[in-house]
Amino acid sequence: MSARISAKTLRHLIVIGLIALWELLPRTGLIPELFLPSLSSTLMAGWTDAGEYGHALGVTLYEVVVSMAFACGGGILLGAIVGSLPRPRVLIMPMVSSLYAVPLVILYPVFTVWLGIGSESKIAFASIYGFLPTMLATAAGIQTIDPQLLLAARSMGATLSQRLVRVIIPAAIPTVLSGLRVGGALVIVGVVVSEMLISSAGIGYLISRYRTILDSPHVFAGVLLVLFLAIAFNAAIRWIERKAAIWQTGTRAGQANDDIASGAMQPAT
Amino acid sequence: MQPLANVTPLKPAARAGAIEVKNVGQVFKTRSQDVVALEDVSLEVKPGRFVVLVGPSGCGKSTLLMMMAGLRQQTAGTVTISGAPILQPDPDRVGVVFQEPSLFPWLTAEDNVEFPLALRGVPKAERRAKAQDALKLVGLEGFGRRHPHELSGGMKQRVSIARGLVQDPPVLLMDEPFAALDEQTRMTMGDELLRIWAATGKTVVFVTHSLTEAVYLADEVIVMSARPGRIVDHLQVQLPRPRTYEMLSGDTFGSLRDRIWRHIRKSA
Repeated sequence: MSARISAKTLRHLIVIGLIALWELLPRTGLIPELFLPSLSSTLMAGWTDAGEYGHALGVTLYEVVVSMAFACGGGILLGAIVGSLPRPRVLIMPMVSSLYAVPLVILYPVFTVWLGIGSESKIAFASIYGFLPTMLATAAGIQTIDPQLLLAARSMGATLSQRLVRVIIPAAIPTVLSGLRVGGALVIVGVVVSEMLISSAGIGYLISRYRTILDSPHVFAGVLLVLFLAIAFNAAIRWIERKAAIWQTGTRAGQANDDIASGAMQPAT
Repeated sequence: MQPLANVTPLKPAARAGAIEVKNVGQVFKTRSQDVVALEDVSLEVKPGRFVVLVGPSGCGKSTLLMMMAGLRQQTAGTVTISGAPILQPDPDRVGVVFQEPSLFPWLTAEDNVEFPLALRGVPKAERRAKAQDALKLVGLEGFGRRHPHELSGGMKQRVSIARGLVQDPPVLLMDEPFAALDEQTRMTMGDELLRIWAATGKTVVFVTHSLTEAVYLADEVIVMSARPGRIVDHLQVQLPRPRTYEMLSGDTFGSLRDRIWRHIRKSA
């Protein structure tokens, strides 16, 4: 119990220490400001051009949200089909698995040719990028449902739709959520990377543009924004996980009681 | 749950809880050959009896139980429960308890017990009341709010029994329900089951590998042989109730167990 608290405190101390180093190392001249501008000058740069960053954040957020809807919606839908029906699985899975190994970023220039350098090409790229892990996780989540649970539901007279709503979906939620975590993170990566490559707006575009003129504080202000975006996304997923999948901790059956009692039941992922 | 179109109305009082298995056969088709899992199995269970099915692995005793549960269709013959053929699961007539507790891990114990009632749209208050009664019956009063992962193996199986009983079906089918439990829990659960059985007057059909468990629990033991599954003996256990541990070392107990063992050794 006390060890757990101190681990948490230690984590906070490390973060605070890193932030302090970020300010101190460039200040003392140990690291040139070109490589690592101090935290204060980074924040300053962001503050003075807040309008520009705000607009960029708006563009990036829009792209992320739309891509996430496509990636997660499509991934869950197709994953559910592939996970529950053997025939599509045989057709699709080998293709998807090999596609997963391809660095999809090579497709991005093609998308810009087809869709232009605006938001559409980013959304297309990031959607596909985040779609694959979501789909694979959903398919796995449905395939790995304990058949015994379905048999028990059937013995209690559950119809097919009742089994879907009351057994298959709740049983698959934890695996689907872990897929969403990976898929969503990849959507953010996809959007930012594509903005950095060929683009005219968004945070990635700002980072890339300021980099070409060696304006490190502005580059890092953009980096900081992406960082916050990722942290916010992670917090949202964790919140959903906590709401929807408390029972997942049952895998650590022996300790479950103690963990709940001490309020430390969330895995530290 | 849809009404069964082709089921004749039940004649309640007299036949509720009676099980009739008539000339039942089951053939599994594989690529190379047909495997006869059950051949011409017939048996009758009177209401309120505690009947145990034993036999070597692969004798089809679980298959037979699944047919009584309406979870598997036989290739020949009929299975009748409470006077009407069983063609699909019918929790009003038959409750099933599996070897794995098969509880839904995302639901609390009481929600698990309420599950079959929720499937049929029973109002929440009525559901809750029935679930509480069932949990009380299996000795889990006050544990309703726990999730399965907060319960021990024996407690999980108790919840599963409560779930099987919550709709008050006249028949309870149990497929090796205590096989995954440790020896001590298993003994306790056996006594608990006998207590519940005595309190409710259900017909129980119980599948097990354990000969001691079979004789200890049963009014009647049905012994099956493997490939093809057939009934080779049908014993009446004349030991008085309540059963006690002293009986385990008695002569009657021993001779019954030996008789079953000889059948099983022959066919295994």
